[in-house]
Amino acid sequence: MKRNPITIATGAVLVLIFLFMLFIFQVRQTEVAVVTTFGKYSRSITNAGFQVRLPWPVQKIYKFDSRIQNFEHKFDQTITRDQINILITVFVGWRIADPKIFLESFSGSVTKAEEKLESLVRNAKSGVIGQHAFSDLISTNRAELKFDQMENEMLKAVQAQAMSAYGIQIELLGVKQLGLPESITSTVFERMKKQRQGLVAKYESEGKREAEIIRANADVQANEILAKAKAEAIRITGEAETKAAGYYAVFEKYPELAIFLFQLKALEQSLKERTHLILDQQTPPFNLLNGSGNAPSGGGSKK
Amino acid sequence: MSNDHPDSGHDHDHAHEAETPAAPSSVEDPSAQALSDALRSSFNIVKFLMGLLVAAFIVSGIFTVKPNQVAVVLRFGKPRGTGPEQLLKPGLHWALPYPIDEIVYIPVGESHTVTSTAGWYYTTPEEEASGTKPQALPYLRPGVDGYTLTGDGNITHVRATLGYRISDPLSYVFNFASTTNLLQHVLDNALFYASARFTADDALYWNRPGFQEAVLARVNEMISKLKLGAAVETSEVRVSPPLDVEQAFDAVIKAQQQGNQKVLDAEAYARGATNRAIGQASAIMRDGITTSNYLVQTVGAEAQRFTDLLPRYQSSPELFKQRLLAETMQRVLTNAQYKLFLPERADGKPRELRLQLSKEPEVPVKEKPKP
Repeated sequence: MKRNPITIATGAVLVLIFLFMLFIFQVRQTEVAVVTTFGKYSRSITNAGFQVRLPWPVQKIYKFDSRIQNFEHKFDQTITRDQINILITVFVGWRIADPKIFLESFSGSVTKAEEKLESLVRNAKSGVIGQHAFSDLISTNRAELKFDQMENEMLKAVQAQAMSAYGIQIELLGVKQLGLPESITSTVFERMKKQRQGLVAKYESEGKREAEIIRANADVQANEILAKAKAEAIRITGEAETKAAGYYAVFEKYPELAIFLFQLKALEQSLKERTHLILDQQTPPFNLLNGSGNAPSGGGSKK
Repeated sequence: MSNDHPDSGHDHDHAHEAETPAAPSSVEDPSAQALSDALRSSFNIVKFLMGLLVAAFIVSGIFTVKPNQVAVVLRFGKPRGTGPEQLLKPGLHWALPYPIDEIVYIPVGESHTVTSTAGWYYTTPEEEASGTKPQALPYLRPGVDGYTLTGDGNITHVRATLGYRISDPLSYVFNFASTTNLLQHVLDNALFYASARFTADDALYWNRPGFQEAVLARVNEMISKLKLGAAVETSEVRVSPPLDVEQAFDAVIKAQQQGNQKVLDAEAYARGATNRAIGQASAIMRDGITTSNYLVQTVGAEAQRFTDLLPRYQSSPELFKQRLLAETMQRVLTNAQYKLFLPERADGKPRELRLQLSKEPEVPVKEKPKP
């Protein structure tokens, strides 16, 4: 009689736990679930928390990851509207939005879902790129560039079908890699090298030209400075000559003496150094050697 | 008495009989007592153990959130609490045991990095570690060498590293299967997106900050669009020309530097030429001034001399002239190197004189004209 309440309590707890395990299941925050009854769909659960169920084998629970998953499409070749081959990879962020359709389409296999997505993305990609010129994808003209727009078009194309057919919501689509075929890359390299060579020539000639201009300007400036200085010097000399002319007026008082003095001075100046003189007896004071002792007939003029 | 005996014997027997049934009752009582005692004490032990278990159960529900973490408790898979209360701050907390409650720790204090090499040339791990560049090929292998296409149709290599922190832990953990992977995709996308709108020269040299900004803007735009719950803190974007074209790029830089050098040289020349001209100009001016002063002074002095000499000349012109002439001749003849005296011929005929002038310059030969 004493043991009964404990036994009953323990038994009750055990039964409760057992029933709990049979009739209750959890859906985690990161999950969605589908409940089937005898293999037939009965309901989807998209809210986290605990849920009531009928025990196996009556009801079966399928749980899927409801988070955004990444999917990367292979690097493959596509042709633009203007017939340029490009290589492009696209990535997709997707999540299971309708677990019922997802379960029915892929029987719950993510790998199968990705296979389907792959072909969906490939079609959308080649479709959108085929409608656009290469310059829509890369351009320095911002108005012409349609990179965003093309991504959006691809997203739209994939989105509708993925939702209705597979219960998949495409949250994001973006270009992950963009390239050119191998042979084209080498032509691009050649072109880039040519461009560089052009730039080399440009910078060389520009530097040379600028240097020449600077030098020429400098020469002009230097000449100008010299010319100004010469002009100034001439002006000063001119002034001095004018002033000197004032003094010359004095000589006019007695030109004979002035001329004599000038001649004397000129004679002395011109016979200053390393002079060889050949004299005859007429020249004073050598006329003395002749014994005549006359006064000289003319001045000591030189020739 | 004899009755007494058997009586007594009976009594004895009775007593014996009475004793026999009494014996078990006296034995049963202590044993029951002992049992109930034992039960009671064991029950106490059980109660104590139960209490201990309950205590252990309560204690086992205590958990710590470290300083660089926050935590979320999922009760039956659903976050406990609402709004900001869902996030448990660092410290001690309590939760029910699994499978009722599940604790998810989120390292919000840690800085995470993600690197994109989708636009970088292929390097082996050894090359990556030592930082050496691989052999340049005249082409790029699709799927092996990463590169981006620039707006002007050129090819560049770009790589980027982002440092980020978790800014919205709930979204970061519960909405994305692999946030790091997604961020990597987003960063790849941003590199191609930014390259597509810049010229190779702008991305490489003229507008590196602009390019980096464009990458970052794109990343942030996508993060906010997706509510990724990450905040970019640092970013590093590297741009390099293709290895095969690198030399040509270097040549351009060299040509530019040489061009600049030429200009600098010319500027130095210009400064030199101007300074030289200024020097020469001042010399010319100085000469001019000196000559002028000399002219004015000498002419002035001569005029003065003339004025001084004039009265003496006037008093005896011939004598004065002869005196001055003789003085001059004296000075001239003293200075002359050779003096040849040529007497007149006795017959009075002109003498023939031949002069052979040496080639030595500056030897003036003077000859007095013959009368």
